[in-house]
Order: sequence, then C-alpha cells, then structure tokens
Amino acid sequence: MEDRERASFEELALPLLDSLYRYAQWLTRDRTEAEDLVQEAYLKGIRGFESFVAGSNIRAWMFRIVRNTFLTSRTGLRAVPPLSVDEQPELVDQIADEATPESHFLQRANAQALRRAIEELPVEFREVLLLCDAEGMSYKEIAETLSIPMGTVTSRLLRARQKIRKALAHEER
Amino acid sequence: MNQHLTIEDVQRIADGESQPADHVRDCVQCANAILDALQMKRAVRDVMRTERAPASLLRRVRRQPPATSWFAAAAAIAAIVIGSAMLFRQQSPSALVELADMHVTLLASANPVDVLSTDRHTVKPWFEGRVPFAVPVPELASTPFRLIGGRVVYWRGNQAAYMLIGKNAHRISLFVFREDFGPKRLGAAPAAVSTLTWQRGGLTFIAIGDVAEADLVELRDAFAEY
Repeated sequence: MEDRERASFEELALPLLDSLYRYAQWLTRDRTEAEDLVQEAYLKGIRGFESFVAGSNIRAWMFRIVRNTFLTSRTGLRAVPPLSVDEQPELVDQIADEATPESHFLQRANAQALRRAIEELPVEFREVLLLCDAEGMSYKEIAETLSIPMGTVTSRLLRARQKIRKALAHEER
Repeated sequence: MNQHLTIEDVQRIADGESQPADHVRDCVQCANAILDALQMKRAVRDVMRTERAPASLLRRVRRQPPATSWFAAAAAIAAIVIGSAMLFRQQSPSALVELADMHVTLLASANPVDVLSTDRHTVKPWFEGRVPFAVPVPELASTPFRLIGGRVVYWRGNQAAYMLIGKNAHRISLFVFREDFGPKRLGAAPAAVSTLTWQRGGLTFIAIGDVAEADLVELRDAFAEY
C-alpha cells in the first residue's frame, strides 16, 4: 500500500478507534482481547482498503471487519450459539391503558444493574443495542453493518430492551 | 388513529425511525411509553459509551506494517522456517537456526526496526552508545540493496546490531556481533532461508534472508568495500 493510501485509510478509520474498541469490548467482554481484536481489524482494514469503495460507509465497513474477526475468534465461536436468537415470535403488544408497573423504572435503576443486564444479553442483542443506542446508527446502517434484514434489527432491539426491562424489574424485587 | 401504539411503534419513534402519530398528542400512556423508551436509550448509551481506547492501542494500530508483498512472503515462509527450525532444535541447538528464528519473528513483528531510515547517516549514529562497537553502515545506493532500518537485538545475552535490508520484495536480516561475543559455532543451517557469515574488522556478520546465496555474497561485498 502506498503511503498516500495508508494516510487516507488512517484519516477515515482512526477517528473510529474509540467506537470500535467499545464494540470489541462489548463483544469480547475482555479488554486485552478487545485490543487485539481492534488491532487485527485495522490490519485487515489496511490490507483490504483497496476493496473499500470510496464514498461508501467506512463506519459500517470497519464495524463489519471487527465483527467478522470476532466471529472467527475462539471467544466469538463460543459466544454465538448455533441456533439463531431471531427464531422468536414478533412482539406486537400495544401500550396498555393503565400505566404498567415497569414504566419509568429506569429512572430508579442504577447504572451497575443496567450494565449487568446488558452483559447478560446474548451477543446478538448486545451488539444491536450498542450500535443503535451508543453509536446512534440508523436501522439501515445497523442492517448493513451486521448483514441482517431491517426487520431483524427491529426485532432484536425489541427483544434486547424487553430482556433488560425484565432483568431490572427482577432486580428491584 | 385512536388505537394505542404498539411497542414496536414506540421503539421506532424513540429511535428516530418514525415520526410520532397524532394520537400521541392526546394519549398520556403512549407519550409516557415514548418518554420511557427515550430514557432507557439514554441510560444504555451512558453505560455502553464509558470506555475509550487506550493510548497504547492507538500506537499499536498506527504501527501496523504496510500490506507489501514482502510481508506476505515473510508470513508464508514463517511456517516453513519455524517448522524446520523446530526440527533442527530437536536434534541440536544451532546459532544459525536461532538467528533465523529471530529473522522471521522480526519480519512478522509490527515493528521490526527501532530506527526506520534508508539513510546510513541516520542509522549509523543511532547505534552509537547502543552497542559497544562502531557499526559499519555502507552506502547502498549503487547496489541492488536498500537499508530499511536497524535495532539492537540480543542473542544468548550478547548484544548485536541488527540491520534490515531490502532487495526488491525480499528482506535480509544482518546481525553484527563483536567477534568475541558472536556465535563460536554456527551449527546446522536452516533449510528455508539462505545464510552467509563473514568476519571483518573484529566483527562477525551473519546475513539471513529468503534470497539466493549469491545475493548475500553481493551484500557482503558491499560491506567489504566500506
């Protein structure tokens, strides 16, 4: 790779370092592994930069590299169950007329309990939550990053949040 | 629309994927549900965005080797060299095999040299004070070789000056020892790389690379003229 190309890769990809590290950390839940994962992803990024289409979404591209690298790692193979988490009925519940006991409980939930609840989520739910809430990605960008349909993004987010609410409600009791 | 929103509707609105329907203006329950979803998003963001990449990671990422063919070539021969090196080691430890191991390890490293310069006037003074002898660094401009950089290495507790030298896509490691501290017996040569050893001016030079032996002879001559 020429210096000029490397410089343009770094210009685009280095600002994503914090985000990619956080993503790697939430995938692996281990700082050392996360650092190795991100380093490997950048190396792959540099090597594959020629295949990156200028003007397309570098963020989705780099997140995808981190994810694919994770999935083929030992931790990744252990973390992702062979059965899809998406094989669940869709949630179409309507808002009830009376206020539910769960509403506004997040105001009372402490950050540690929330962290625990997120950590306990299956990795597919954890990552979709991070991309949406922490990274502010649109459903379309998440779908592109994770190579899943938009409908799956919606249902994974619903289920992730439902699980968190349940975990926090359980903790309160 | 007078029907309450579904949980999915609430989520899409909180995530900025759809606009609130008129119904929300008149419905406390649905408005509360959206507020609740927004609060949850904020709480999740605060928990998930706490960490920043450590400075050491930025340094590691910046030091990634470029995707040149020599790197791939080095990686490809690494398995062969390490395999053959292990085979040799089972029989008898060989200085050449150990140095060939070091050659492969350094090439595979993200940071094979500590001083990265093609300029002999940079590399030669860099060694001063770092190794207990003057390191000859010839001008290679008129040769097929080019200097890439240098570092200090240790072999069995002895300091050596290490120079990484390129020839086209190939890389040659040149270890320079003070003669009395260098290997006394070289032992068996590794199978997958060429090696050449010579002595000059009280120093022992050991060149190792995935090149033809004639190339190493040419390199030796370049150093001899210095």
